[in-house]
Amino acid sequence: MATTTATDIAGTDVAVGPSPSLRRRRSRLARRNALIGWSFILPNFLGFALLTLVPIVVLFYMSMTNWNVFGTANWVGLANFQRLVGDGSFRIALFNTLYYSVLHIPLTFVVALGLALLLNSKLRGVAFFRTAAFFPYITSIVAIAIVWNLLFSPDYGPINEILRAFGFANPPGWLTSSDWAMPAVVIVSTWRDMGYYMILFLAGLQTVPRELHEAARMDGANAIQRFFNVTMPSLRPTTFFVTVMLTINSFKIFDLILVMTEGGPGQSTLVLSQFIYTKGFEESQFGYASAASVALFFLCITVTVAQFLANKRRSA
Amino acid sequence: MKRKFVAAAGVAMVATLALAACSASPATESAEAGGPVTLSVSGWSIATTPEFQLLADGFEEKYPDVTVELKEYDPVNYNTLLTADLAAGSGPDIITQKEVKFVSTFQEGGQLVDVSDVELPEGIGGTEAYEIDGASYAVPYRQDSWVVYYNKALFDEAGVEYPDGTWTWDDYADLESELSTALAAKPAFGGYQHSWQSTVQGFANAQTPKADILSGDFGHLEAYYKRVLGMQDDGGQVDFNTRNANQLTYQGEFGKQKAAMLPMGSWYVATLIAQQASGEADDFDWGVAPAPQYDAKTTGIDNVPVTFGDPTGLGINAAIGDDKLQAAKDFLAYAASEEAAQALAAIGITPALLNDDVVETYFSVEGSPSDELSKFAISTHETLPENPTSTKTAAIQGILGDLHTAVMSGSEPIDSAIKGAEDRVKNEVGLD
Repeated sequence: MATTTATDIAGTDVAVGPSPSLRRRRSRLARRNALIGWSFILPNFLGFALLTLVPIVVLFYMSMTNWNVFGTANWVGLANFQRLVGDGSFRIALFNTLYYSVLHIPLTFVVALGLALLLNSKLRGVAFFRTAAFFPYITSIVAIAIVWNLLFSPDYGPINEILRAFGFANPPGWLTSSDWAMPAVVIVSTWRDMGYYMILFLAGLQTVPRELHEAARMDGANAIQRFFNVTMPSLRPTTFFVTVMLTINSFKIFDLILVMTEGGPGQSTLVLSQFIYTKGFEESQFGYASAASVALFFLCITVTVAQFLANKRRSA
Repeated sequence: MKRKFVAAAGVAMVATLALAACSASPATESAEAGGPVTLSVSGWSIATTPEFQLLADGFEEKYPDVTVELKEYDPVNYNTLLTADLAAGSGPDIITQKEVKFVSTFQEGGQLVDVSDVELPEGIGGTEAYEIDGASYAVPYRQDSWVVYYNKALFDEAGVEYPDGTWTWDDYADLESELSTALAAKPAFGGYQHSWQSTVQGFANAQTPKADILSGDFGHLEAYYKRVLGMQDDGGQVDFNTRNANQLTYQGEFGKQKAAMLPMGSWYVATLIAQQASGEADDFDWGVAPAPQYDAKTTGIDNVPVTFGDPTGLGINAAIGDDKLQAAKDFLAYAASEEAAQALAAIGITPALLNDDVVETYFSVEGSPSDELSKFAISTHETLPENPTSTKTAAIQGILGDLHTAVMSGSEPIDSAIKGAEDRVKNEVGLD
């Protein structure tokens, strides 16, 4: 009853797969399962669609209009993008964003991984250090900005006092100097983010099989060799995730720079997100700001896709 | 069977939640022709800025049929929040114009009613800021101007004579240096300059003949910035970087006697009086002097000193109901009237209408300075706008703000910063 019959070359009946009635029942079941699944994710998806997906689609439309938030949005085609290409401030913002990312991503990666390796032990008190490392991530960003501004004060701040004690006669001006403002921001940003990525690495380190380490040790591998040949390969999913998140968040950096330097001195720490904010909310040029947002979107997605492809190739 | 029920309930719940999440349509005010009317007025820091409640109460007394409701906004993001409300159609009936540089944006977006027919008293200042294409889109009720506050106690201690209003900026710089040396032991500085770009650029733009930021020429800023950097190097005032690192406030620096002189807007009079009364600021004798001038042509009490400042005004939301329009125009007329000016002066605000009677009331407030120079400084001045009324002003001021931080922090020399700013204006704003 479960199988259908068909006639083969010789003319005898052969069972050939599920009967139509069973197929119908299976597809009904599959459809019902799918519907139930959808009903559970529908609230989340509705929120995503209304608050994220639809605004992004509207963003693409707005980037080709000139809209000052009150009047009608007049279609201007690619004029905003042409203007972006010639805009000196946009180029500065793009350069600064890339400069920030190139400094921030490797530094945070190394520091977070180092902290995770250090704190991946079951000694008493390790929980305190893990909490201490994570604390900056949940601290108010305005408090961070105020305190680090004081620390970085070129004439009276402790950082330069220490540097002078070590013999540096002319310590950097940090947030008051257009050369050192971005490195100063990167330092604070790394200090803030290291705890979060450390937690991710700690979770990943728990999945490294002990037997591999044992085997490697018995074969005579030292700690460094074990790290590169056992730990790192096992950590690849975590490393991949951390790198992708770090990259995207670095490109989108906004709040820390806004409260620490407001893009200054001059435009030395102006990043894309702040450029978008200024053009949109301070100068009411929402169409132009949308075009800049689209540029940022393509920057993020290009780099992320490249990272996914690289990861796929490595895991193949 | 049970799973089917749960699934169905789930879908129903999602649908209900989704519908409930849609905000209820804003309650439309019922149009009652000729009946009681409620006007909403936007304001900020209502608790510490009494002028809004004062105007609301005064108007309600005169027009008992009208109720005035204040709508409070965060002061730092006032314009952004107001823009969001206006774009959503839930803006206030009467839009307080906190900054002149947004008036053009509101007007261009069709958000303001033409109020050229509102009657204004003779001699009221600040109306030009709200004139666009020959029509008026807002009415000023307050006009601030920049003056110099000086601490008489510190001057006595340093053995220096009080300012007499005949000073130019070079004189101010010399005096600041002299005071700093004399007060070094206290410790106190000769003067304090706040970090805003207006503390340098406001004076440069207003006092230099033929200077106009809308032209995209900023050469006139060089002299003022060179002088200010010199004042910093001389030790006459706290330098810009230290001020930012330590987040100093002008109220704190002058109120706690850490600086003998302070160029600041006239709004600080009311704040200083209140802070001295509450004990937040030290109790000392102080006065107000007219701002130092570009050259000797406008110094002294026989001339009219030139300074800068912007008015604060009220506009009417273009989406206002016809039944409320007349009440709104009445409110604007009241806010600009002599009656309101007297009430505002009595709480230490400099109204847009500054005739002799109003000035008398202003100086009869307890705690305000009583000397003749202070009265002159507050009442007699040619106040030019800090922000010219144009759609380009916001962008140009942004570029000039970057120039300010670059030069004051010492990261860029003034001449290359000016050239950079001029190029940026040509490139980003356009000079048509």
